[in-house]
Amino acid sequence: MAELRLLRSPPRPLTPDEECLEAFQRELDYIYQSLRRLGTPRSELDDLAQEVFLALRQNWIDYDRGRPLRPYLFGISFRISAASQRKRRREVAFGVVEPDDGNPGPDEVLQTKQIRGQVLAALELIPLKRRAILVMHDLDDVPARDIATALSIPLFTVYSRLRKARRELEAGLRRAKRGGGVR
Amino acid sequence: MIDKGPPLPPDVQAILEQERPIPALTPAVRARALAAARAAVAASAVPPPARLPSPWARWAAVAALTFAAGVAVGAVAYRTHRDVPRPADVPAPVTPVAAVPAPAAAAVPSPELAVPPPDSDAPAAEDAKRKLVVPQEELRLLRQARAAVARDDFAAALPPIAEHTRRFKDGRLAEEREALRVKALAGLGRRGEARRAAAAFQTRFPRSVLLPAVRRISPGGE
Repeated sequence: MAELRLLRSPPRPLTPDEECLEAFQRELDYIYQSLRRLGTPRSELDDLAQEVFLALRQNWIDYDRGRPLRPYLFGISFRISAASQRKRRREVAFGVVEPDDGNPGPDEVLQTKQIRGQVLAALELIPLKRRAILVMHDLDDVPARDIATALSIPLFTVYSRLRKARRELEAGLRRAKRGGGVR
Repeated sequence: MIDKGPPLPPDVQAILEQERPIPALTPAVRARALAAARAAVAASAVPPPARLPSPWARWAAVAALTFAAGVAVGAVAYRTHRDVPRPADVPAPVTPVAAVPAPAAAAVPSPELAVPPPDSDAPAAEDAKRKLVVPQEELRLLRQARAAVARDDFAAALPPIAEHTRRFKDGRLAEEREALRVKALAGLGRRGEARRAAAAFQTRFPRSVLLPAVRRISPGGE
């Protein structure tokens, strides 16, 4: 009996919903930061992160667990950001858009935070489809081939957009530097 | 061969390095996001079928059903034995009445939902009982949602609201349900959804006494 008492039943396998929630929880910081890098205003971050979760959950069964999760999540975040930006542009015509809060907040006085703010500001100047590739490649270190898969575009397009995005980022940062921001 | 282009200049690369680390979210933001995700899962999960409260209650229900079936069979056999064809006198279906749990009179909040007195005539009482089942069930779900909102557990309010929507889309308490939905969504920080729910509330219930409260909760919904 003592041996029997020591035997434990194997842990219950997670349901797909539980797995998905766990993955979302694990990558929550990354999702929020990716949405920020893709130009989402702070006021919309919660809503868009929720949309990322809903899309992730909807496709969780089809997600290939052998592939890294972050590029997949970034692909979802990119599509949701793009849809949100299109919607925001439509709403601007009626003057009901929220004020853009892309500027660093009053507490962001440390130099690192200023630099981060300026990187985000420079990223804002790059059109979304090129910005997404730059962020994935140069910040998240995602290989170009995986970017092509995540965003459903040819490899050649990944490289051509990356080249252009880098030039745009450099120009944006130099402009910020001339303005006295980055030292 | 694909032209990968020149790498970023070292000074730009150095600046970019500052942005590379992923900052941790504050606990409040993290909790809000996870609560919203859990609520979404719970709201769309198929609710389990209604269960009797305990094995004893199940056995009691089985016994009642068996007894009712026995009574019905006995009555039919008796009439057949008497050889009098009176189809209209086939015994009344005892089973549903026995199976329907009697609602607690103390839990009834308003006279219109009150249980009719037992001495009223049978068809009227049956009609009233049939009508009564829906409000009691509606009420139970709304009470759950209201209690969850009252203790600021907004995530727990959404599943009963979703179930109420599914079962009683245009129920008597739809107005209160939609107001609770706005409050729960706003409480979870799902401002966009709260705004949409508030706008839908205003369209559907433009003269509602709850409208000022809904506007206060989600001003953008107007």
